[in-house]
Amino acid sequence: MEKYWNQEIETMSREDMKKLQDERLVAQVKHVYENVEYYRNLMDEKGVKPDDIKSTDDLHKLPFLSKADLRDAYPYGLLAKPLSECVRIQSTSGTTGKRVVAFYTQHDIDLWEDCCARAITAAGGTEEDVCQVCYGYGLFTGGPGLNGGSHKVGCLTLPMSSGNTERQITFMRDLGATILCCTPSYAAYIGETLHDMGYTTDDIKLKAGIFGAEPWTEEMRHSIEQSLGIKAYDIYGLTETSGPGVSFECSEQTGMHINEDHFIPEIINPDTGEVLPEGEVGELVFTSITKEAFPLLRYRTRDLCVLSRKKCSCGRTLIKMSKPMGRSDDMLIIRGVNVFPSQIETVLIEQGYSPNYLIEVDRVNNTDTLDINVEMNPEQFSDKVKDMQEQEKSLAQAIKLMLGINPKVHLVSPKSITRSEGKAVRVIDRRKLHD
Amino acid sequence: MANAKQISVFVDNKPNQLTGVMKVIKENKLNIRALSLADTSDFGILRIIVNDTDKASDVLKKAGYAVTVTEVLAISIPDAPGQLSRVLDILGSENVNLEYLYAFTGASDKAVSFVIRVDDNSTAETAFTNGGIIILTEKDITEM
Repeated sequence: MEKYWNQEIETMSREDMKKLQDERLVAQVKHVYENVEYYRNLMDEKGVKPDDIKSTDDLHKLPFLSKADLRDAYPYGLLAKPLSECVRIQSTSGTTGKRVVAFYTQHDIDLWEDCCARAITAAGGTEEDVCQVCYGYGLFTGGPGLNGGSHKVGCLTLPMSSGNTERQITFMRDLGATILCCTPSYAAYIGETLHDMGYTTDDIKLKAGIFGAEPWTEEMRHSIEQSLGIKAYDIYGLTETSGPGVSFECSEQTGMHINEDHFIPEIINPDTGEVLPEGEVGELVFTSITKEAFPLLRYRTRDLCVLSRKKCSCGRTLIKMSKPMGRSDDMLIIRGVNVFPSQIETVLIEQGYSPNYLIEVDRVNNTDTLDINVEMNPEQFSDKVKDMQEQEKSLAQAIKLMLGINPKVHLVSPKSITRSEGKAVRVIDRRKLHD
Repeated sequence: MANAKQISVFVDNKPNQLTGVMKVIKENKLNIRALSLADTSDFGILRIIVNDTDKASDVLKKAGYAVTVTEVLAISIPDAPGQLSRVLDILGSENVNLEYLYAFTGASDKAVSFVIRVDDNSTAETAFTNGGIIILTEKDITEM
C-alpha cells in the first residue's frame, strides 16, 4: 500500500493542480512585482505587467532569472519580505563564485520541510523509523531540510551531520537507524567503511536511503543498494528554490515527482530560451509559487533533464523529472566533445571499479588532455605488469566508446582517492589556469 | 609442491609508497628474502618473498594494500659464467614462457638464487629437475 504525506496534493487531478497553480502564480507574480525592485525592472524591460499573467499559460511571458542575477542582487536584492519576517538564511557552497544566500519566512521553512516529509514518506518512512541525517548541517540546505522533514513525519531523527564515518556506523548499529539521508558519494563511503569494519548488511537495520545534492548514476544506485542492503531514493533541490525536496523519488524509482503545488517546472532550450515540449531534454527552469521571502520566477537551474507525465505506478500524479544528466556547469568540453563525469562513473561501476575517481583535464600543446585516476580493483590485481596495463587499456577503451574521445587511465591504489563526506570533487580542470 | 610463494603489492608511483609497505613489514618483524620492483609510469608492483607469507599477506591487506600471492619457482645455480643461459635454454627447449625473473643472495657465496615466474610451473619444475638445476623449497628459503 503506497503511503502519501499529502494524498490530496500528491494524487490531485491535472485539472485541479493547474487551477491551484494558476491562482498561486497570479498572486506570486503580483507579490514579486510589488516587493522586488530587481524583478520589477526585469519585467518592465520585457514589457510585462502582473496583469498580463492570468494563468500558467502565460508563464513564458516572464523574464528568466539566472545565477548571475542572484549574484548581482546579493545579498538582499531579491528579498520579497521585510527581514523582520524572515527567520532563516541558507547558502550555496559558493564553489563556483560568490555565494548565493536564500531567505526563509516561517511559512517558507514549513513548506520546505513539508516537501521533505513527502520524500521521506515516499521512501517508506513513518513515525516508526529512525532517520539518520548525515548531510552537512549549517548553511548547506541538506541537513536542515531532511532534519525538518524527518521531524514532520515523526521519525526518530539522528542529526549526525557529515563526517566521522566510523561513528556514523556505530550510531547506525546501536540506535537501529532505518533510513539514511546523505549525498550518494557519502553513502558509498559509509557502505565501504561498514564492510571494512568487518560488518555486513545483517548488522544494520537500514531499509532505505534518500540521496541527493550531487549527480549520480543508476550504476551508483545499484552499487549503494547492494553495499548497504537498502532501496536508494533520489531527491532533488537547490538552495535557490528552497533546498532538497523540490522533487523526490517514489517506489517506482524512475524519476522524481516535482512538488508542483509549490514549484512549476519548465524545460527550455538552454541556447535560445524557447520552451520545449514534454519529453525533450533541456534546461530545467523553476517558478516557486508559494515562497514568500525568496520567490524566484523562472529560475534557470542549469540542470539538464526531461519531464514526463507518464502515469506512475505509485499513484502520484505529480509530474516527474529524470535524474539530471548533470548540471550544465559540471559539463566539461574536452577537444570539442561534451563530457559529463557521470558518464565516466557509469563505465567504472560497470567494469567493477570503485565509484571514487578523479578526472584531470589539462591543455598540453594546445590539445586538451583527459586523465582519469581510477582505484584498481584488488580482486583483479596481478603480479604481472602486462596484466595491469591491459586493465588500464581495456578501461580506457570502454570510456572511449562512451565519450568518443581517448582518455588516459591511471590505476592507483585502492582507497587512495579522497573520500567525500559531502559533495564529491571529481574533476580538476587545470585549463583555467592557462586562460 | 616445492614452489615458493611470492607476495606482490600494488604501489602508487609517488614518493613514500615503498616506505609504507616496508614499515608494515618491519612492524611485524618479517624478513624479506628476495625482492624486485617492476615499475610503469603509473604504478609499481613490488614482489617479495618473505619468511612468513601468510602473515605478511594478512598484515599488508589489513593495512589497505592490494596484495596477491603467486607460486613461483626459486632455483639456485653456481655463480659462474653461462649458468643463467643454461637455465633459460632449459625453459626454451620446453617452450615455457618466462614472465620475469630476479636474483637474490642465497646462503652461499658460490651460488646465486633466482626467482622465476613462468606460466607453467610444473613443466618448468620437471625440466629443471631433469636438467640438474637445484630447486629451492619454501623451507630452504625460510632457513637461509
